[in-house]
Amino acid sequence: MMSLEEFALFVILPILVVAAALAFVRLLRGPSLPDRVVALDVMNTLGIGIMGTYAIATDHAEFLDVAIALALISFLGTVAFAYYIERRV
Amino acid sequence: MLDVLTGGLMLIGALFMLVAAVGLLRMPDLFLRMSATTKAATLGTGSILIAVAVYFGETGVTSRALATIVFLLLTAPVAAHMLGRAGYFQGVKLADATLIDELAGRYNLVTHRLESRDIQPASNEPAGEAEPS
Amino acid sequence: MRLFLMNTLLALAWIALTGTFTPVNFLFGFALGFSLLWFTQRLRPPTNYFSKVVQVLEFVLFFLAELVVANIRVLVVVLSPRLSISPAVVAIPLDVRSDTAITLLGNLITLTPGTLYLDVSHDRSVMYVHTMFVDDLDAFRSRIKQGFERRVMEILR
Repeated sequence: MMSLEEFALFVILPILVVAAALAFVRLLRGPSLPDRVVALDVMNTLGIGIMGTYAIATDHAEFLDVAIALALISFLGTVAFAYYIERRV
Repeated sequence: MLDVLTGGLMLIGALFMLVAAVGLLRMPDLFLRMSATTKAATLGTGSILIAVAVYFGETGVTSRALATIVFLLLTAPVAAHMLGRAGYFQGVKLADATLIDELAGRYNLVTHRLESRDIQPASNEPAGEAEPS
Repeated sequence: MRLFLMNTLLALAWIALTGTFTPVNFLFGFALGFSLLWFTQRLRPPTNYFSKVVQVLEFVLFFLAELVVANIRVLVVVLSPRLSISPAVVAIPLDVRSDTAITLLGNLITLTPGTLYLDVSHDRSVMYVHTMFVDDLDAFRSRIKQGFERRVMEILR
């Protein structure tokens, strides 16, 4: 029987990393710029999840603040990209 | 008991995010990809953050986790809407399986205004057929 | 609105008196304050606050149920070997006009898996929604109108 911290570290984090790898494949493949932005957005969301899981794995609640900052930046980034794409055409 | 709840929530969240990533990879066009990712990712992050709140059980952590979830629920649709709009202007192709596109030709390409009925084809070419740049 | 503030104040008073500021305790204090206001409603002018709170709770439950059911549906589609999707961009005529209502409706539609709110026309009469599975356009339209728009209107009235 593994502890919750080990469960987070050895089961949850690998799942999230695999998901990030899949999103990265979409980032490389495209085909269009909005597709890549969606992939980046998903990777950011995964980052929030990874931060939450890491907070549990290491028993440090401070990582939650990182997750909050990441959520804010991710939204700003996506909106800025969308604005840029729309203005470009 | 709380450990089981925390672990279960984390597992559900991680699996939803994995499904979102698989959907992102498998879906044939931009809008389907956004459909598959926006909420699965939101739900996934939400349940992981709830797991964090349950694990620490402190007021400060719980309120921060809840604030993050509310923020995600508010912003994810806005980001998807802006990105979908930008993609439509760029002329992203819809999947072959798409039955009907009632939005085609209703964006004014000059003023970026959206009409509620079809624009006269003489003044504007339909947005859906623009060349991807 | 004034009653909502009073209710929140009662919940805060409950927290101050019990001395434990936790979300669960706040919810418990809010429920206590709500029942207190409900018992004393004959002392004040009539209000729709009570039915509104019930409506909001109902709406949250309806939305959570929809979220879970639709998420599972998307999960099955994404993981099945053949993608059995029939996407469409559907124009939905709107009855609501206010900014708040349209924003709320758009957010809810996007958060329900399988549907994606794209845009609303400049004169606010038509909303464009992308959906993953559509068998019958009119059935889909009426499902959005009956399920979401009616409830959003009820809450914001």
